[in-house]
Amino acid sequence: MSDHKKPSGVTRRTFLRRTGWAAVGLTAIAVVGYPYVGTAMPALPSFSNPQIGDGWAWIQMLPDGRIRFYCPRMEMGQGANLGLAQIVAEELNVGQNDIECLLPDTSQTAVFKATVGSESIVKFFQPVSLAAARLREELRLRAARQARVKLAEVKDRDGGFILPGAVNITYGDLVQKTAIVLPEPSSDSAMPMQYALRDAQARQTIGQRWRHPDLHGIVTGTQVYSRDVVVPDMVYGRVMRPPKIGARIVKIDTSRAEPLPDLIKIVEDKAQNFIGFVCDNPFILDEVAEAIEVTWHSNEDVFPADRETAEMLRETNAFPHVVASNGEAVDESGEGEISVSGAYFTPPAAHTAMEPRAGVVSVSNGKAEVWCGSQDSFFVQQRVAKAIGFKNDAVNVHSLRMGGGFGGRLACWASEDAAVLSNAVQRPVRVQWSREDEQQHNYFQPPFSHFIDARVDSAGIITRWNHDCVSAPIITGPFSFMGMPLADTVTSVVDWIGPDKGTMRGIVSPYAMPNHRIRFAPARTGIPVGAFRGLGAAPNSFAIESMIDELAFAAKIDPLKFRLDNLSRSNARLAAALKRVSDMADWGSDLPGNTGRGIACAIYKDMTYVAVIADIYIDHDAQTISATNIWCAQDCGLIINPDQVENLVSGNLIWGCSMAFKEKMTFANGIAQEDNFHSYEILRHGEAPAMHVSLIDSQAIATGVGEAAFGPVAPAIANAIFNATGRRIRNLPINYEDVAGT
Amino acid sequence: VPSITLNGRSVDIPDHLENITLLDFIRDHIGLKGTKFGCGIGLCGACTVHVDGVAQRSCLTQVVDVAGQGITTIEGLAVTAPGAGLHPVQEAWLEISVPQCGYCQAGQIMSAAALLAKTPNPSTSQIKQQMNGNLCRCGTYGRIQKAITIAAGNPYYE
Repeated sequence: MSDHKKPSGVTRRTFLRRTGWAAVGLTAIAVVGYPYVGTAMPALPSFSNPQIGDGWAWIQMLPDGRIRFYCPRMEMGQGANLGLAQIVAEELNVGQNDIECLLPDTSQTAVFKATVGSESIVKFFQPVSLAAARLREELRLRAARQARVKLAEVKDRDGGFILPGAVNITYGDLVQKTAIVLPEPSSDSAMPMQYALRDAQARQTIGQRWRHPDLHGIVTGTQVYSRDVVVPDMVYGRVMRPPKIGARIVKIDTSRAEPLPDLIKIVEDKAQNFIGFVCDNPFILDEVAEAIEVTWHSNEDVFPADRETAEMLRETNAFPHVVASNGEAVDESGEGEISVSGAYFTPPAAHTAMEPRAGVVSVSNGKAEVWCGSQDSFFVQQRVAKAIGFKNDAVNVHSLRMGGGFGGRLACWASEDAAVLSNAVQRPVRVQWSREDEQQHNYFQPPFSHFIDARVDSAGIITRWNHDCVSAPIITGPFSFMGMPLADTVTSVVDWIGPDKGTMRGIVSPYAMPNHRIRFAPARTGIPVGAFRGLGAAPNSFAIESMIDELAFAAKIDPLKFRLDNLSRSNARLAAALKRVSDMADWGSDLPGNTGRGIACAIYKDMTYVAVIADIYIDHDAQTISATNIWCAQDCGLIINPDQVENLVSGNLIWGCSMAFKEKMTFANGIAQEDNFHSYEILRHGEAPAMHVSLIDSQAIATGVGEAAFGPVAPAIANAIFNATGRRIRNLPINYEDVAGT
Repeated sequence: VPSITLNGRSVDIPDHLENITLLDFIRDHIGLKGTKFGCGIGLCGACTVHVDGVAQRSCLTQVVDVAGQGITTIEGLAVTAPGAGLHPVQEAWLEISVPQCGYCQAGQIMSAAALLAKTPNPSTSQIKQQMNGNLCRCGTYGRIQKAITIAAGNPYYE
């Protein structure tokens, strides 16, 4: 990718035209800050962080005094656009009804970073706050000029200002019905005061429980997701995807399908491994698909990077990357030290967002309009453009609220397929994936294998920590399946350069451990892997926090005390979370029979501190095991909207239970064996524990919450099972048989 | 011509659509998009509607099999409860901001409303049992269960 900075697709003029507001209003336009990906380059997700000045282009003052916010984050239920809108409102002294928050089309803003990694608040707080504050001060200047008073005499008031003599002036009074484009601030412009950073008592909006404006549409059935999009003259398409990973088309026989009524066109392109069709009505799609006979072929057996692979690498000591090391980790055991070893395994997992993806694409006159829900509309734009040989700026992607994302919606193949079909028939085409498509054709969380040898001294201090991990590269993984097969020579170079940062997320524990060595062996697999909630954080946390519990038991020390004793001194915030959660759960209190209690903690991406306690209950009559209560204390700094954060934390706790008890993908010969919810089970209502969430009051920088609390849940549950039964759980998911079997 | 009553309106089932599911009929023939497709095999509950007041998976129901019956979807739920405004279950959902992504919530609400119609004051285990077929990947189960309790306290159910 080029570092060369060029305008990324949106010129000021096209912005003004496309957004349709050019006739009126006041805004600032900036087209800065993102490396331009040329059409000759492969389509890549947008991974560049926002710059402090980028916010200018996202906020617009309308002539009626309302604010339009082109939110540079996609919405999948995490509510980032609500939190960011609250920041805008704080700066501009407006209420929720005065701000309209839009998911921008790709033509309405410059490229912004993919909505991944729980970064929407931590990385966008500053640009958004600063831009809104600057707009406020620009308006204040206008008020002073218009009223011919000194700038300092223009005081804040809700929705505007108050002038000397108690004269009110609204923002609307200051915005004429002509377009005013604020210049991009120069680097030496004075920084306005950011109200979002004021003392807690002075803040008006941040910390309030605003309700997401989409909720009314959601509970009444009017919220539009990509599956719900209808455009005039729309027809219905489907693409027959390889039944097995890596399969290629050998032969296509369409003779039985061609006479079917309502079939408009069959689109074949063997070179592109493409066979699809378009129908006049959606009800005949299955029948046509069954009538088209496609012979597929695949040479290669797709191998998963499974436990056997990991054990082989372990045997040959083939760990090319030392992720962290200190002291002498491989020394002989010292006097009075106890050694503990454990091998931990977590299986591949599927996102199973409740909405199977869909896209509607209208190609005509050399332009393409795309409607889809994606975590990276600009990535979809690039990929659609490539699929039909258009330039990026001939493709406009309309962004819709997603029915779940969880890392699994960077690409929208349904939109690419719809684009090819629409280009062939020059009418809008809808393509919708089935649940089975999601389970077979998306990318997955890779399996993780961990081997940890550790020692603890008689005082309960960890003296050695040798941790070897085998898994697939996550961040550099997707390239191999998103239409750009990477040669082995390329992947071997990529893997040689360094350990994959996504796979390694959370691998360095928060404990002091003076002598440690953490190594990683990348095991590329034929199974497509990619971003999944938390990336490596939860599998890595499972291994680390399980071993910590094993060490505490070996040293005969309470697992809470053991953690507090071994935490690095710099981790006071994690210690505080541990103490808070232990108070909440009354740690150390007596438990009824067949019940166990476990604890675990983690720091997510060096920013969010989470401690979890889980109670489990084993029902020997029903032969079930379940989490009954989960307590969670989290320190995520300043909280923009506590209601939203509590909801996300609870969702993470449920996800963690689901990981612990339910989820596992297996592949046989490149075919996903769990193709729907009967075989790929996720946690259900009846299995949901009671949840108790406490957010630690903090004025530190607001950090990510969308994935943070997930990691410690599974190890807390596994540790609770050990507490109840004396059996260690080192493989997920957990079955009753593993716990009670002989 | 067979027909169904959809949210109080009679709708004919044309000959050529007699083999489609109630879900496809509602979404792609009528054009009401509030009822969602999640799995297609009745395992996730996103497509839940009321058939003569009983929660049913519309993805597993052939439209001709409910000819002559009354179908309520999320769009028509509010009018099944007397008074202006939303149904008490929808009100409770908003009161404690249940949804995250929101995609499964129409089905959750329809299941919850059917539960309360039959059992106005459900126990926790009754709630969990009735709602067990409605999956939520965002993990809003705790709030859903709480919202059902709130709705049960609505004077409408007394």
